[in-house]
Amino acid sequence: MHKAPSASSLGPGGLDLTQAFFKPIQNTAPPSPTKRHTKIAVVGVGNVGMAIAQTILTQDLADELALIDAKPDKLRGEMLDLQHAAAFLPRTKISASVDYSVAAGSDLCIVTAGARQIAGESRLNLLQRNVALFRIIVPALARHAPDSMLLIVSNPVDVLTYVAWKLSGFPSNRVVGAGTNLDSSRFRFLIADHLDVNAQDVQAYIVGEHGDSSVALWSSISVGGVPILSFLEKQQIAYEKETLEKIHKEVVDCAYEVISLKGYTSWAIGYSVASLARTLLRDQRRIHPVSVLARGFFGIEGGDVFLSLPAQLGRGGVMGVTNVHMTDEEAERLRGSARAILEVQGQLDLGI
Amino acid sequence: MHKTSSASSLGPGGLDLSQAFFRPIHNAAPPSPTNRHTKITVVGAGNVGMAIAQTILTQDLVDEIALVDAKADMLRGEMLDLQHAAAFLPRTTILASSSDYAVTSGSDLIVVTAGARQVPGESRLNLLQRNVALFRGIIPALVKHSPDAILLVVSNPVDILTYVAWKISGFPSNRVIGSGTNLDSSRFRFLLADHLDVNAQDVQAYVVGEHGDSSVALWSSISVGGVPVLSFLERQQIPYEKEMLEKIHREVVDGAYEVISLKGYTSWAIGYSVASLARTLLRDQRSIHPVSVLARGFHGIDGGDVFLSLPAQLGRGGVVGVTNVHMTDEEVQRLKASAETLLELQSQLDI
Repeated sequence: MHKAPSASSLGPGGLDLTQAFFKPIQNTAPPSPTKRHTKIAVVGVGNVGMAIAQTILTQDLADELALIDAKPDKLRGEMLDLQHAAAFLPRTKISASVDYSVAAGSDLCIVTAGARQIAGESRLNLLQRNVALFRIIVPALARHAPDSMLLIVSNPVDVLTYVAWKLSGFPSNRVVGAGTNLDSSRFRFLIADHLDVNAQDVQAYIVGEHGDSSVALWSSISVGGVPILSFLEKQQIAYEKETLEKIHKEVVDCAYEVISLKGYTSWAIGYSVASLARTLLRDQRRIHPVSVLARGFFGIEGGDVFLSLPAQLGRGGVMGVTNVHMTDEEAERLRGSARAILEVQGQLDLGI
Repeated sequence: MHKTSSASSLGPGGLDLSQAFFRPIHNAAPPSPTNRHTKITVVGAGNVGMAIAQTILTQDLVDEIALVDAKADMLRGEMLDLQHAAAFLPRTTILASSSDYAVTSGSDLIVVTAGARQVPGESRLNLLQRNVALFRGIIPALVKHSPDAILLVVSNPVDILTYVAWKISGFPSNRVIGSGTNLDSSRFRFLLADHLDVNAQDVQAYVVGEHGDSSVALWSSISVGGVPVLSFLERQQIPYEKEMLEKIHREVVDGAYEVISLKGYTSWAIGYSVASLARTLLRDQRSIHPVSVLARGFHGIDGGDVFLSLPAQLGRGGVVGVTNVHMTDEEVQRLKASAETLLELQSQLDI
């Protein structure tokens, strides 16, 4: 079933070629039901949502893309702008509506809706505005796509992933936050650029809160399989702990830097989320640092909290968290990150 | 040669691993010079330029992208935003400068998107004067740094600005192209494909002439899966009104205005359209695209040097030739009228 989105002159009442153009062969039956039709819903067609949608489209990750937003004109404009590229892309069905029923049957729902982080504003300050929004969005998605995975991008992502989990009633393996997947990419980029090596050969995780209290796992960074810190020791290259702190701070500041220069970030988060979408929908079983239910890991007790850990992802969502080795200090910082998030969560009234 | 874009703590003065991390093998020589390093420059880091740059990056079409824009902060932000995705992409060098055109040197293809954005209701021709002045500032520097490049103009009104770029650059005509009606034709193919529920890539349909109100839909050469549509309708005895065809064409032209009135500008579709042209040019694909080329001498167009869209075969050398597509007398008339409209405007320019 398809609809001509903007033409009224092609179709009944205008020039209607459909009845005559193709002739079916004899003895046909309707198509067999197939489970391989993948559908992604993207909620929020701002800069982030559209960078994600467009990257997913270019990378041919889904058969169907549904866009949802509260602003109908902007929504329709974005939908048309993607549809007009039909001659340059594999055929992907693109729909858009303010009505959440358009998300029906989605395999993955990506939520980017929310206020944009203003230059200088910490992610936690956005929180209250976004919780109210999620009370509308999440139950609607859960109703129309009860079997989908939820991927939360809106900031502050860790708390909002927790909120989405509570509001959806979904099992914890089907609710993840984009978390530190992008921070880790920035970290890998800085190291790769310095060493003049491909970023994909740099294994480096930033975990914990996607924000100021994130934790760089220096003890498990490796390049081409060579663990960096023990390499430095063996080569007797001296380094200051403060230097490592500075590098980590530069990673955290990367986002703020881009925001202060161009007003927002879009491209990098687009690629980051498209990468997660591919791993989830194509059952790639790859490890990504994403925001998951972290209770019970690395001594994190004290409540249900979502924060980023290196997690193996596949078609069923979160398969498990890798048993990465952390130094005592790294584990302590991680627990500190958890406490920071839990404290903010404690101030929320979810109204459930 | 690479530069750390934002980190000062990784490198001399901070944590410097570069000397010790890799050891060269014995008797190594410097890399052989290779001709296969491809580089694109995108001039203008607005919505259109960035959609083009990002699509080219995602589709892994080049080894190096240089971005140029007058707004230094925004430009740097855009460059960083692309670089931060390094873990998710094949390694591509991304450079940017708002003041030094040396970052563009050695480009194989230069895409010019710089210019004022079309305001809702404003016709493309009204943008003209603002953009000619801009080109006088940009084109000579680009030519100086990449004398062998292909110039691909996207800024509107694209046909006249492609002519302007050609005059200012001094490049041979095969190396100066305008994105023209490549996107209009995609919108046309989308409308037809959506109606027939067929893949748009099986719909051959060209909109030619001016990228704008006087463009010409070549109904006589539209085919779907090899079936020419108009003669098909006649054989099936399906009546159609000429006004109906005009209406459909009008909807294609209005496609852009509709998107602009809804979201404020267009970006994604033109991004894919130009990336498609970039692929055909850089990979010598010899595909036929309706793009703005020097049209003098084709289909009776004789009033002067004018660029407008014709179905042109493109490859690594730029325009290989224009296809000898059959047009009805009426289509030719409209094409010539399109040419006259453009020539008239051009004559008012002081280049």
